[in-house]
Amino acid sequence: MGVELLIALTTGAALFGIGLYGALSQTNLVMIMMGVELILAGAMINLVAFWRYLHPDNPAGQMFVLIIMTVMAVEMAVGFGVAIARFRAKGSVEMEEATELKG
Amino acid sequence: MTAQALFIGFFGLAAVWFGIVVFRTHSMVRSALALLFSQTALGAMFLSMQAEFLGVLQIMMMATEMSIMAIFMVMFMMDPGGLGKMDMTHQRRLSLGTGVVAFATAVTIALFVDWGPITSSAPDATQQTVDLGLELLGRSMLIFETAGITILTAMIAATAVAIQPAAGGSRHGR
Amino acid sequence: MTTVLLLMLLAVGAYLVAVIEDWVYRGHVQLSAPLIAGIALLGRESVVPRKPDRIFFETGPVLLLISAVLAATVIPLTPGLIVTDLATGALFFNAALVYVLVALLMAGWGPDGAYAMIGGWRFLGQLIAYAMLIVMPITAVAMRAESLLTMQIVASQSDIWNILYQPVGFVLFFVAAMALAFLPPFDLPTAKGELAGGVEAEYTGARLAIFRLGRLALVITLAAATVTFYLGGWHGPWLPTWAWIAIKILAVTSIMLLAGRYVPRIRESDLLGWCWKLGIPLALLNIFLVGVLALVFP
Repeated sequence: MGVELLIALTTGAALFGIGLYGALSQTNLVMIMMGVELILAGAMINLVAFWRYLHPDNPAGQMFVLIIMTVMAVEMAVGFGVAIARFRAKGSVEMEEATELKG
Repeated sequence: MTAQALFIGFFGLAAVWFGIVVFRTHSMVRSALALLFSQTALGAMFLSMQAEFLGVLQIMMMATEMSIMAIFMVMFMMDPGGLGKMDMTHQRRLSLGTGVVAFATAVTIALFVDWGPITSSAPDATQQTVDLGLELLGRSMLIFETAGITILTAMIAATAVAIQPAAGGSRHGR
Repeated sequence: MTTVLLLMLLAVGAYLVAVIEDWVYRGHVQLSAPLIAGIALLGRESVVPRKPDRIFFETGPVLLLISAVLAATVIPLTPGLIVTDLATGALFFNAALVYVLVALLMAGWGPDGAYAMIGGWRFLGQLIAYAMLIVMPITAVAMRAESLLTMQIVASQSDIWNILYQPVGFVLFFVAAMALAFLPPFDLPTAKGELAGGVEAEYTGARLAIFRLGRLALVITLAAATVTFYLGGWHGPWLPTWAWIAIKILAVTSIMLLAGRYVPRIRESDLLGWCWKLGIPLALLNIFLVGVLALVFP
């Protein structure tokens, strides 16, 4: 009873945890973005599981997943734009060195 | 335990395993491709949960996204091949703790919430695709269009930020 | 059962593609040429370069073959002969073929060679160019069929083939398919003259044989897809269905291979520029026109 839902939610939680670890521990912008991708992936699997096991008749659940995919694409585009601009200006995208906005 | 649960569990384990590999390997290309296979395993999970359209879409979109990620890793990292075994992390203890606590909290909540009745059957794939299409261009059209405009804006903004400034400092110099 | 049949047909198709390719390059037909070349390849030593990324090096060629075969599973050959009639067949076809890129990246990065790596990353740029031109024409095809089922797509062309209904889409898809299969003039990742074989450069022996086989399977799959999406699949007068589809697939393959003989290799920046400045507006126009046609003549 609900084993599938539980497995899916656990996977989502694990991906979220790994993504959080990555986003916090990595020093490089690109690696941080990979962490964020994993966090979003965890959210996605939860949404699909909720749609499938709780409300399979409501396609709005699937649409939410499409929106998250959009968010992933937007995050990649803007993140890489920023990364290129920073690499041009400073020669690296190490976030330890990005202290210009520190008070 | 049904076959569906077995499949979901298998692909879920694969997704988590590749997710861990992302931050454990030193080779940047391996890292990006491990993320790709994590996402692909996720797409396979969607397929085992009978969300066919989403599963196929996930498998398709992530391949391109993560390959592009791979080239950016090679461009921007100091040691893309991972032969130097550089340590690229900071505040490891804190991050690990946060990750574990987040995981534990989410699993605890998932265990103790009463999810209500579980539906065992989903509409078949053809019907789902039709429903999703009608949803996208019906009730949720505004949201969908907003997402499209957002992507367009992001594309233009990212290009504008990334474009090579002309010599002499003027961004519009030609 | 259909799976075994499809695999056998793919093998025969790949062999014929090899014969045609040989004919295009050397000018005369020799039916045994691919067999001899294959045996020669398998007999040679398969060298592993120094300090390879072993996982990628081994996986690359196999993944190329797998993605081509997976894409072929949603292509209907005759009525009823399809391995998986997925509800999202036309989308799955794209999803499987994107892994050609992943395979080439792996094969390029794996052997730790400069030419191979340049070839692999070049194909990523090539994907940025052709990817939209694969997806958007297929969107228009699916719009006419009102379905993503490949069977439905063929059925929708029983009166008038899509090549006449949406010629712009056909041209775009055809060119993009050639770019996807990195056939000349789009053979940037394996450029013979400038990169010494590019992605293929570090592969020898059995691994190279698998790589070549995957590429041949990719060509025949794309030809079959062109036939399915634009040339009416098995539809045709007088002849039985299997004969029609075989003739069409072989004809498309021959044209794809022949075209490369008369066109110089394209530059990567030119390819990107033309695809984005010319191809994508045309593809959008195509979608618009098909929408209007579908509304006016339902």
